[in-house]
Amino acid sequence: MSRFLLVAPPLTGHINPLVAVAAELTARGHQVEWCGYADRIRDAAGPTAVVHECALPEAGELLRPPTLTGPAAFRFLWEAFFIPLAEAMAPAVASAVHAFRPDAAVTDQHAVAGALVCERLGVPYLTSASTSAELIDPLADLPKVAAWLTGRLDALREAIGDPAATHDPRFSPYGVLAFTGRELLGDAAALPWERVHLVGPAIADRPGDPDFPWDALDPSRELVFVSLGTANTDAGARFLHEAAGALELLADRVQGVVADPGGQLTDPPPGILVRPYVPQLELLGRARAVVSHGGHNTVCEALWHGLPLVVAPIRDDQPIVARQVAEAGAGIRVRFGRVDAPKLAEALRTVLDDTGGHRTAAAAIGRSLRVAGGRQAAADHLEQLVTAHPAAAAGR
Amino acid sequence: MTSEAATPTALSIDEDTVLAQIAATLRELPDAGLEDAEISRETLFHDDLELESIDLVTLAGLLREQYGERVNLALFIADLELDEIIALTVGRLADYVTASLRATEEN
Repeated sequence: MSRFLLVAPPLTGHINPLVAVAAELTARGHQVEWCGYADRIRDAAGPTAVVHECALPEAGELLRPPTLTGPAAFRFLWEAFFIPLAEAMAPAVASAVHAFRPDAAVTDQHAVAGALVCERLGVPYLTSASTSAELIDPLADLPKVAAWLTGRLDALREAIGDPAATHDPRFSPYGVLAFTGRELLGDAAALPWERVHLVGPAIADRPGDPDFPWDALDPSRELVFVSLGTANTDAGARFLHEAAGALELLADRVQGVVADPGGQLTDPPPGILVRPYVPQLELLGRARAVVSHGGHNTVCEALWHGLPLVVAPIRDDQPIVARQVAEAGAGIRVRFGRVDAPKLAEALRTVLDDTGGHRTAAAAIGRSLRVAGGRQAAADHLEQLVTAHPAAAAGR
Repeated sequence: MTSEAATPTALSIDEDTVLAQIAATLRELPDAGLEDAEISRETLFHDDLELESIDLVTLAGLLREQYGERVNLALFIADLELDEIIALTVGRLADYVTASLRATEEN
């Protein structure tokens, strides 16, 4: 039996893969505790999860105006969220390590406090990469932007890490658990493959929705699932209206189910099912195509089910994920801020038309994601990490 | 890359023409949805056109096809600070292209 500490930011998409890994580790008899934000973690992992609670940064959770996109969103994300988040989380990570004495840790790639405190205290740790975007060196063409980020990470390391360390704290020298697949990354990725483990999505059992009106689904039409994820509720009003319009244009052959947690679709066209929360995995099991903002988890879950996508990225890693989907042939990228109902309907028609090959490509990626090992492979790598560093916990 | 450096010969490269060419290239960016977009010198690459940094790389390739080796936009982009990328206008791109073309014309 080993003890594993999981360090996660207050972002659902980053927590979800770790929930599946935690369940796997627990099932194997290991002890798992979390460091992060109990409300968010228990929503996903259940009420019994042990959480070493972190303070939130002064600015609170990640809130950005809908118009903040592109490089300005990147600057905000690091300067105003991830860096202050690391400073706020660091004391709790240190006390969690002292109290729990983990044999190893899994630290989210963007909860940088996990990596930096673990390196300072000598805890072996794997990075949890919840998106494929960081793996392709997205700033390779923008060296001054990369230097800007490195400067901030270096300053953070001075404050909460081991100043003698030199590696990028987003990539643990012990290894990276990347919840994605080679087929999605494409050929562009030049990775230190010996320590980057592409384990595919780690999908946890999620609470179902006993109230979902399954009877309202029309078996004679193709089900299209529309979701902008959990972190973009206020940015999506215009797009969701255009999406509803597209679904209406295709109403003779398509039935839309729209996840609308922000209640943006106040007057949806008839025949479209709009729900604040949806049983996503069950829906994907019945769907024929997905319209998504390009959140990595939703994209991988769609591909897992062999579903082609229309991807409308908003910001952050989403444009990269969208490009990866398009280049893999499994979907079409549209512009979140510009696409209108007729263009969206045309994109949907294209991916739903099986002669176009999008479904075939999606199914191929889905098969490879299923054999990548997911939660079991992640747990295997963590057990091997402890075996390779058996005395790690003794000195603390 | 200032206009003061321009010689009479160099003036044969018309800034407005370059701007129009870049605007046309942007409107034809695959899947960018910019077919009907208004594009002027002041148009912000990211906030107005909603293009991503990866689109800059695509644009660099297209301009290279159009103008040849004389215009190396990738080099220009690589020299930009984060704040400069955020504030990047179509006009600034056009200035760079114009200056590159004039520089090679003078040589």
